[in-house]
Amino acid sequence: MKSLSRRDFLKMGGIAAVLGTAGITTIAPRLHNHTETQSSPHTGHMLQQGNHGDLPGTVGEVNHEKNGFNPTDILTDFDYGKVSTLPNGQTLREYNIVALNKNIEVVPGIEFPAWTYNGRIPGPTLRATEGDRIRIHFSNGSNHPHSMHFHGFHPGNMDGVPGTGPGGLVEPGDSFTYEFDAEPFGLHLYHCHVFPLARHIAKGLYGAFIVDPKQGRPPVDREMVMVMHGIDIDFDDENDFYAVNGIPFHYQNHPIQIKVGEKIRIYLVNMLEFDLINSFHLHANFFYYYPTGTSLTPSEFTDTIIQGQAQRGILEFTYKYPGMYMFHAHVTEFAELGWNGMFEVLP
Amino acid sequence: MTHPTPHTVTKRFTFRTFILLLLPVILLAGVIALFLATGGGLNLDPAAPVENLNIERYSLKPNTIELSVRNTGPDELTIASVIINDAVMPFRVTPNATIPRLGRATIHINYAWSYGEAYGIKIFTSNAIPFEVEIPVAFETPAPSRTTFLGFTLIGIYVGVIPVFLGIFWFPALRTLGRRAMTFLMAATAGLLIFLGLDTLAEALEFAHQVPSAFQGIGLIGIGAVSTFLLLEAISNQQTSVSGNETQRRLTIAFIIATGIGFHNLGEGLAIGAAYNVGEIALGTFLVVGFIIQNITEGLGIIAPVLRDKPGIGKLALMGFIGGAPAILGAWIGGFTPSPILAVLFLAIGAGAIFQVVYEISKLIRKDTERQSMPMTVFSGVLTGMMLLWVTGLLIK
Repeated sequence: MKSLSRRDFLKMGGIAAVLGTAGITTIAPRLHNHTETQSSPHTGHMLQQGNHGDLPGTVGEVNHEKNGFNPTDILTDFDYGKVSTLPNGQTLREYNIVALNKNIEVVPGIEFPAWTYNGRIPGPTLRATEGDRIRIHFSNGSNHPHSMHFHGFHPGNMDGVPGTGPGGLVEPGDSFTYEFDAEPFGLHLYHCHVFPLARHIAKGLYGAFIVDPKQGRPPVDREMVMVMHGIDIDFDDENDFYAVNGIPFHYQNHPIQIKVGEKIRIYLVNMLEFDLINSFHLHANFFYYYPTGTSLTPSEFTDTIIQGQAQRGILEFTYKYPGMYMFHAHVTEFAELGWNGMFEVLP
Repeated sequence: MTHPTPHTVTKRFTFRTFILLLLPVILLAGVIALFLATGGGLNLDPAAPVENLNIERYSLKPNTIELSVRNTGPDELTIASVIINDAVMPFRVTPNATIPRLGRATIHINYAWSYGEAYGIKIFTSNAIPFEVEIPVAFETPAPSRTTFLGFTLIGIYVGVIPVFLGIFWFPALRTLGRRAMTFLMAATAGLLIFLGLDTLAEALEFAHQVPSAFQGIGLIGIGAVSTFLLLEAISNQQTSVSGNETQRRLTIAFIIATGIGFHNLGEGLAIGAAYNVGEIALGTFLVVGFIIQNITEGLGIIAPVLRDKPGIGKLALMGFIGGAPAILGAWIGGFTPSPILAVLFLAIGAGAIFQVVYEISKLIRKDTERQSMPMTVFSGVLTGMMLLWVTGLLIK
């Protein structure tokens, strides 16, 4: 965020000297007339502010087909892998991940030259049960070296960090298989760990990794994954847009439909680069919060939580009344730059 | 002809001359075609497109911000996103979001801005190149209504017309001065003009930075100033050779001074109008007083060359009008259709005129000092003139 230089400006009023701004007494600025009616052809959707200007948001739609993914689908797209059983009786889950350079239209008319896992931001949501054997066939189809670094227990040579073996840095055209047991249970994540790290993450190389407890979690009606992140479109190491699951304002433009009384569980991961914290605020409701998902007992009953980068947690809630309810970062700057969504609660 | 040529060759424009003139042009076309076809060996594709968007003006209306932009980059570009104070805003572009090279467009944003607050606007093109503009103090941009029109007129009268005429009112008193005092006054006028000329040039340079690079602001200053200087020089030489009359000559100089000061005041008016538009209103009535005091010396400068003559009241009034009234015109242009290109051009013309006049006055002074020795008069006069503007300038800066 750039600070405005109004004070400097007034100080240097003298520059206007040559200019000599004389007419203050003769032309009094007319104040904002609130009674004037104004048609706003661009107030889209259900959110309107009458004649007080448009609300922040995008007009039009990005090309989801060309992008190859739609944030609405990502919400419930859990990849359980190819399942088989090992001789020792352990469940084996195999996943194929490819690192790809891909232009993604993030706001209508602007493409972001992203680095992706499987061509999408965020990468696939990998899901397993505690104790399963995980085998990830990672190949690098891009022109930069990349890796996959998982949060969780695993041997050092499976850590995906340069210097820890062949899995630490996979050259373009090469591949590597990461293999480890899924533990501990909870909500985790993975991301590229090749340096410069901030750039490799900011370009889009991250995804959620869910490890369910052996006995499972109490049943709910709907489960969703939300990965919060930023988009630094001009590479100045400052985010220009903020989003959940790839596209700014997507769930504002396409509210998530749920029903009154339905139990909702959200797997929320923060992968925001460059900014210190991110947050999640739910309107007209409270949720149980399970930090990192490593306990089955919630730590808090609240309506707002904050997360630093790579922090994550599980939210559970139910709506009592039908209506439109906002959810967004309560770092409101992020909300107005794209991290804003709506639940449409149907009766 | 002092050296007649032995053979009188009739130089006619023949077909052969025509072909010879054309030959380099044809060869040039060939070289350009070759370069474009082969890339000249520099086969470099830019990693990122080169784009340039000039945000020429913003205007605020209730619940609306409008940005006038011009594409000064080498290719067409498309406006893709507008962010105001870190909020992505819906917007509309007329005539089209895709702007051709050197084309203009207006971006309309339906935004509930608040009086007196500051706004930072970032525009992204479809190639994710950001362009920023800042609104330091938001208030409604004066529309060309009768009230604002009269307002700008009044500013022009206060800053330009009144002070210049007040200066001219010194005429009867100064006529009674002796030759030495008059020479001193002429030198002081030269000092005033040198100071004004530098000031005008500095202003032109400042505006030149706002001119889109394609229009080469600094080059415009050169064209405006040098051509004005030489044109006035030619006119003044013609006047002298035609009439040979000293009185007539001094009158011409007075008119040229009036014209130069007129251009200077036009530039001042432009700047005032533009400054008002962007809300540089932190200055106050005190400064108007400062301007009146400073500009009164301009009137003095106009009449100095004709003090020993008897120009009619009509002529004096005309000089005052030429010197002061352009401030009104400038305020209108600056207030309603600010254009840095026009501002640069006007200011450059003003600078050229002023420096030419200084040259003319120096010739007059030289004539005076030939008849009577006045060792320190010119030095003290010029210094007094410059110091006068510097000191009164303290009131404004």
